[in-house]
Amino acid sequence: MTVTESQKLAYVAGQAAEARVNLEIETEGMTLNLGPQHPATHGTLRIVAKLDGEQVVACEPIMGYMHRGYEKLTEVRTYPQVTTLVNRIDWLGHFANEVPFILAAETLMDIEAPPRAQWIRTIFFEMARIANITLFLGDMGVQLGALTPVFYAFRDREYVLNQMEAVTGGRFHPNFDRIGGLRDDLPKGWIADTKAVMDKVRNFCDVMEDLLVGNEIFDSRTRGIGVIPAEVALGFGLTGANLRASGVDWDLRRDQPVGLAWNEVDWKVWTHPDGDSFARYWVRLQETREAAHIIDQLLDNIPAGPVMAKVPRIIKVPEGEAWVSTENPLGEMGYYIVSKGDLGPFRCKIKSASFNNISVVPWVTRGVYVPDVITILASLYFILGDIDR
Amino acid sequence: MPQPKGIGLVKGLGVTLKEMGRTMFPRQGVMKLVPSPTQGAVTVQYPHEKEAPAPRARGVIALKEENCTVCMLCARSCPDWCIYIEGHKEKAPPRRAGGKPRTVSALDRFDIDYALCMYCGICVEVCPFDALFWSPEYEYSELRIADLLHDKERLGEWMETVPDFEPYEAGSEAKPRKVPR
Repeated sequence: MTVTESQKLAYVAGQAAEARVNLEIETEGMTLNLGPQHPATHGTLRIVAKLDGEQVVACEPIMGYMHRGYEKLTEVRTYPQVTTLVNRIDWLGHFANEVPFILAAETLMDIEAPPRAQWIRTIFFEMARIANITLFLGDMGVQLGALTPVFYAFRDREYVLNQMEAVTGGRFHPNFDRIGGLRDDLPKGWIADTKAVMDKVRNFCDVMEDLLVGNEIFDSRTRGIGVIPAEVALGFGLTGANLRASGVDWDLRRDQPVGLAWNEVDWKVWTHPDGDSFARYWVRLQETREAAHIIDQLLDNIPAGPVMAKVPRIIKVPEGEAWVSTENPLGEMGYYIVSKGDLGPFRCKIKSASFNNISVVPWVTRGVYVPDVITILASLYFILGDIDR
Repeated sequence: MPQPKGIGLVKGLGVTLKEMGRTMFPRQGVMKLVPSPTQGAVTVQYPHEKEAPAPRARGVIALKEENCTVCMLCARSCPDWCIYIEGHKEKAPPRRAGGKPRTVSALDRFDIDYALCMYCGICVEVCPFDALFWSPEYEYSELRIADLLHDKERLGEWMETVPDFEPYEAGSEAKPRKVPR
């Protein structure tokens, strides 16, 4: 591509304009690097903020510090090996990462998991959602200076992870989903234990409501900060709770059933009309409660039967392409698998939610003050492994 | 009517106080007056007391050497190829008198490099002869990374720590499994 003289001049003029940002009093601008190691970034995200005094003029997230090349890795691994890799994409909502990949492979192989497997999958999917969002509910407090909520969040998250460990064997990397079903069945007494844990989760939501939602400091730090209107959110491709907090009634669990058991139970999609940081917190808080409600109903009537369909011992996926996306804790996550009939995928495109969610940062942080940048980043809630993959 | 300021703060402090009371005074009855924070805390003081992991927890892989037939399935299906197997063929006496001598595979080397292992459990799952098992044991950290390579004797020692498989929940059609002792 050739660069014309006029383009060069425009670039130089732009650089000069950025260096002197305040046009009224002609002060020099300042560039502030948040990260790559800033605690507010949940990982190694770098945020370059150009400041005019306390105000942010331009803010740009720079990602790629944690790129692990999963899309390329899947091409040299077999299908059963890929599930152990994709656990590590969004490491807080571990199990939810496996499900769309397995579902895409199952569509290509024309296999359907037995109903019991689908129900247990849904239960674990929602437990992964709780494990993910409880940490956000506490972490948001830490970003705003309240230290206590995160201790409660870690404590109550551990109960959920213990339940997952009792079945899958792994707290963080369950690797439990298989093409055609699940690796194992539930151990005895697990359902009763999980019901007790769901009560703890509901209690945790009540505690968070008392601690943060009614708190005056939290209110003034989040209300009206980082407002994303519905059309902007849709334009930037935001998904998940960030989109629902802008008042868009959009949830793939309801709108795009993929065979899991969400249609069998009674639940509702929570939205908030405001679109500010408070709305994003509030929507996620309600979602955690709703997830506990879904799990309770699913636990009551798990169908009997096998957890594994008849699957060949060596899994070869026939030629074809499949795209399956589900509503993961962070938003829409999907896998586009291209198979050439081999043991592993020929190409696997991973669409993760955080990558889109963070794309709105330059837009939403324009003109806010520096402490509000932290609020906005915390409330957008991204996982770095989910951005960089 | 506007809400008076500070109600939310007081409410939050109340939650914290309640949780503190529950942690400091967890006992019932008269004993409630005696503080015992170690009993009420959710954490444990690790080297002195230990948490018991779930029986299915993936802590370390144990090897039942007699069951291994050197089929290499585990080494091939490992996502990061951290299992090293070598074996040779041996002549064994026939099962019945007058029969032909059998050829059996003997294991020379079975190493798992725990510095590389991702604890995915695929090797345990693919093993067709019940030679690999998960044990919830987790205390095998080493000062040198090379010591994390466990050979077949070390892997065999873990076999004692393998718990029995749990019975399944009602409605399950999975076959109950047994650990060979």
